[in-house]
Amino acid sequence: MLIRRNPLVMLICIELMLNAVNLTLVAFSRQLNNREGQLFALMTMTVAAAEAVVGLAILVDIFRVRDLEDVDDLSELKG
Amino acid sequence: MGPATIVFWLASAVALAGGLGVVLFKEPIRNVLSLVLVMLSLAVLFLLLSAQFVFAVQVIVYAGAVMVLFLFVITLLGPVREQGTVRLPWQIFISAVVIAAFAGFLVAMLRGVSYRTPDAADPIFGSVQSIGVGLFTDYLFPFELTSILLLVAAVGC
Repeated sequence: MLIRRNPLVMLICIELMLNAVNLTLVAFSRQLNNREGQLFALMTMTVAAAEAVVGLAILVDIFRVRDLEDVDDLSELKG
Repeated sequence: MGPATIVFWLASAVALAGGLGVVLFKEPIRNVLSLVLVMLSLAVLFLLLSAQFVFAVQVIVYAGAVMVLFLFVITLLGPVREQGTVRLPWQIFISAVVIAAFAGFLVAMLRGVSYRTPDAADPIFGSVQSIGVGLFTDYLFPFELTSILLLVAAVGC
């Protein structure tokens, strides 16, 4: 996530990390014979979906105003 | 080596290759397709861990809906020219130090661990019945909070 400058690819990398967390949750739920891990994995999926939706909406809005090549271009709020 | 072991190694190899593809490909469309690969192989792993419902949700929601959304936005925005990576000063050195520290933690933590095969799962473990009973009894409050989160994301503002 830190070596890519494209905001879209950064969102994709967040999805990848959340998937890794899901895998550990489900694996430990199987190991401990405990369904809570699977329930929490489902919650994580929901949060990831909501996060992707909001992030992509923000990106589309930004791209409508101007072309963006680097996330560091979005630094107008910096004092 | 049983068939489950072979499937496990195949799926994890495909997942690792897809993860590398997500990080290393230059065109966003290839990143997204690699992510689809990762999610499908993770779905296979979920099935091996007898989590049928999570498997179905992973295939339908993630590989189906979220990835279609990503592809849609990418084709909507057109090709994005990505500049060369601007490295911060000392970035490689600092990341090497952090990687070494965390690898040390992992090795120190896992050194004394002995593995055991998990007990045989219930027939209903991970099924829709088990998950549904959990969601609507013990975990009703987080479930409702998640629904409110989805509602906020759908309505916006």
